[in-house]
Amino acid sequence: MIQIDAVTVRFGGLIALNEVSATLTAPVAGIIGPNGAGKTTLMNVVSGFITARSGQVLVEGQDFLRLAPHRRAQKGLRRSFQREQIADDLTVLENVLVQTDWSLTGARAKRAEAMEMLAVVGLADHAHKIGGALSGFERRLTDVARCLVGAPRLVMFDEPAGGMSVEETDRLGDLVLQIHGLTGAQTVIIDHDVELIRRICAETLVLDFGRRIAFGPTADVLADPKVKAAYLGTEEVTA
Amino acid sequence: MDRSLFRLTPSGSTGLIFAALCFAFLPMLAGSYWLSVLTSAVIFAMATSGVAFMYARLGMVSLTQVGLMGIGGWVMLRLNYLFDWPFEVNMVLAALATMICGWILALPALRMRGLYLALVTLMAAGGLEILFATYQFPNGGEGFWGVKIGSSDPFRRPWLAQTPEAYLRYCIVIATLGFLFIEGHRRLFPGRAWALIRRSEAAAMAAGVNVTLYKTWAFGIAGAIAGASGALLAGSLGLLDDGTFRASESIMLFALAIVGGARFWLGAVIAAVLFRILPGLLNTWGVDTDLALVIFGAGLLHALITAPNGIAGQIHDLVARLRGGKP
Repeated sequence: MIQIDAVTVRFGGLIALNEVSATLTAPVAGIIGPNGAGKTTLMNVVSGFITARSGQVLVEGQDFLRLAPHRRAQKGLRRSFQREQIADDLTVLENVLVQTDWSLTGARAKRAEAMEMLAVVGLADHAHKIGGALSGFERRLTDVARCLVGAPRLVMFDEPAGGMSVEETDRLGDLVLQIHGLTGAQTVIIDHDVELIRRICAETLVLDFGRRIAFGPTADVLADPKVKAAYLGTEEVTA
Repeated sequence: MDRSLFRLTPSGSTGLIFAALCFAFLPMLAGSYWLSVLTSAVIFAMATSGVAFMYARLGMVSLTQVGLMGIGGWVMLRLNYLFDWPFEVNMVLAALATMICGWILALPALRMRGLYLALVTLMAAGGLEILFATYQFPNGGEGFWGVKIGSSDPFRRPWLAQTPEAYLRYCIVIATLGFLFIEGHRRLFPGRAWALIRRSEAAAMAAGVNVTLYKTWAFGIAGAIAGASGALLAGSLGLLDDGTFRASESIMLFALAIVGGARFWLGAVIAAVLFRILPGLLNTWGVDTDLALVIFGAGLLHALITAPNGIAGQIHDLVARLRGGKP
């Protein structure tokens, strides 16, 4: 469970997040909103790349805002970025192993776990392929595998389906749905693909101009007139 | 134990064969002048490997490497005249002392990147240059600085390497160990962390990598390599001169690491050949050694415009093409 409590972020005079609160309990939860709504800012606050002016974020009761970003990762926070971050000169396996290198678990066990998660995402045959030789989708899958190793508690994806084909997006959605069963971790996903959000997220938080405008079961949220207005506008355009 | 640590790659085996051939034949081919030049070149190849590793693995530009060599040389000379310890003990202590200096240097530089980091390290090199010029290098005198007027006391070379030929072989072995030390790091978890830091510090932090620790670690390794190189240089010459450790030499060494190819062991060797052997050749041919600077400049332009992986990268691509694979 993730409790976001009155999180406020200001960049000078701009209020990027204005007292945003939500308690995410579903195995897969979504965050949506128009560009500039504050979705990635909220994710950056949770992962430690932006400091909140006020508020609290509890992950399974633990206050994450007090921890350095790398300590949050060691406590089970996983994060992927809008652009997948794979080191070109490392192999797929090495790119996944990085996530657990800090842990004192034996090297053999860590390697076995990494190979298992690569098999889950369908990249076991590419384990020794160099990162620079991967396709965009394979890079994203490597990113997903990295998020699955080392006993994750919270996995956050920031627009993972950006630039993907319909088939790739479907496959990614299927993978995200497996995460809770595989690892026990909760997943939070930001994406502009509303169909993807509708399919995989049981609950959804909607932000607009840094404010929470809706939160609840995804079907209800997507039917909310305020959400429709935020995405499509309210004024009719006449020819 | 991670088996990938001991995996022999074609490039690695070529490097080891190259080192073995140098060990066997290089001392036999040279007279006393060239023995000195070749020893210096081997030592600077090792020093270049440190600065090249920082750039290739972390994208960090350090312009202090030759200054750090000066620290290693200073500690080596001081210990040599203070205690009757073996050369190897003094060399390890010199490397450790320089590693600590590398860490201290890293502290203000950790939050900086690119040009700003380069400027900070250049300022450190300038500071070291002033220190060396003011206090000189120990030569057997009394007091903390150990400097006296007149001729220097004798310097003790390694027990295994009393002659210039043996010392050249000794330096080849230490330099090879230095290269293997860096390669070992690259293949294990620090190498993975550095690769991800180079890709994106945010991604590295999100993967649980303590970026500050690993950057400091890299500075420490480059410092230790520079310190050992400085200690070997002190052993080669018996005394050191502040003119060897100018800030401009650090800039030159970094530029040549780029020309040679920072990602490859061969790049460090090419850099050392250009840095030490080319001026020696020009000197032998009676040509002004300043011509080497013109050649370095042309080489740097060549690298920046057409060969981002340096001459070694071009050779690597050529070999790959000849084998019928992709470069």
